[in-house]
Amino acid sequence: MPPRHRQASSWLKLVTLPKFSTTPGWRHIYWFPTVFVVSYYFYNLKIVSGRSMQPTLNPDASLWRDVGLFNRYAIHTKLDFNRGDIVALRSPEDPNRILVKRIVALAGDRVKTLPPYPNPEIVVPQGQAWIEGDEPFHSDDSNRFGPVPLSLIESRLVAVVWPPSRFGHQFQPTIVDKDISNPNKHSAYRLAMAELERQRWRTTRVAAAPRSSL
Amino acid sequence: QLVNLACATHLFLEYVGTVSLMSGPSMLPTLASSGEVVVEDKLSLRLNPASLARGDLVVVRSPINPTLIVCKRVIGLPGDVVCVDPTGLKAPSTEHVIVPKGHIWLCGDNMLYSRDSRDYGPVPMALIRSKLVARV
Repeated sequence: MPPRHRQASSWLKLVTLPKFSTTPGWRHIYWFPTVFVVSYYFYNLKIVSGRSMQPTLNPDASLWRDVGLFNRYAIHTKLDFNRGDIVALRSPEDPNRILVKRIVALAGDRVKTLPPYPNPEIVVPQGQAWIEGDEPFHSDDSNRFGPVPLSLIESRLVAVVWPPSRFGHQFQPTIVDKDISNPNKHSAYRLAMAELERQRWRTTRVAAAPRSSL
Repeated sequence: QLVNLACATHLFLEYVGTVSLMSGPSMLPTLASSGEVVVEDKLSLRLNPASLARGDLVVVRSPINPTLIVCKRVIGLPGDVVCVDPTGLKAPSTEHVIVPKGHIWLCGDNMLYSRDSRDYGPVPMALIRSKLVARV
């Protein structure tokens, strides 16, 4: 079991334990502030709906909407943004809506954009990021409304916790098992190669800005 | 428990209102450059987002720097046609923009020395933290 998962489940236990105490009512409400602060600053769960991150999240083959564990600490306190992170951010067009997309490029990078964006290339301005959904044809992302301020980003996806068959925290494929003799493994290889190809397609469209030692 | 009280206090400050110190020359002469203690009101915008009016002083997270918090005046609401820079410093004074859906146009009172929507364009409303209500 990866250590990240253990940390998340122990947090959940810490939160639910006071709620099952003896005296009902007041005891439950008493712990709400702590629960809210933990969920605000550290980790919380969100249900992901929509097709814009297929096939990474909510693939057509799944009956359930994915529930993801999101890390607010990394974004709120550490401000740790990386290219390739799946993040939850407030939509610039509708302040009540939260989008789950991938950071494709950061400030200073030159990005080859997709339609319907008017310019074929853009340099991402300072303090902003270029976000895209993994499914380019059904995604409401930077190709529609341009680069978004980093301040809009709220949390980073750590792992998918539901459904159990899609449990895991690997969203960037690294190792591909090339043993295709076993028919059961064959489709896994092809899916993994497809994921690698998608990742390569995303990264080749971004020319990272030359970074001085910061 | 102390932890719970600290969390409750923090939640009050986060969701209802807070008193904070701010400084900077971009809102002269309304707010002093050397520092002002002001009362921020977060609750009224949460309960009634339509209560944001042109001319309100708002505190927003900076769109160009995720660590900065700035205070500016709302000039344009979504759908308004705004003159980008009447002083002509950063744009010709005939240039106008339409503020897109879900965004607002901010301008500092001290237009000679203010980095605001004239530099970074319309600001998404999700970045608004609170309205300034009073000066202490």
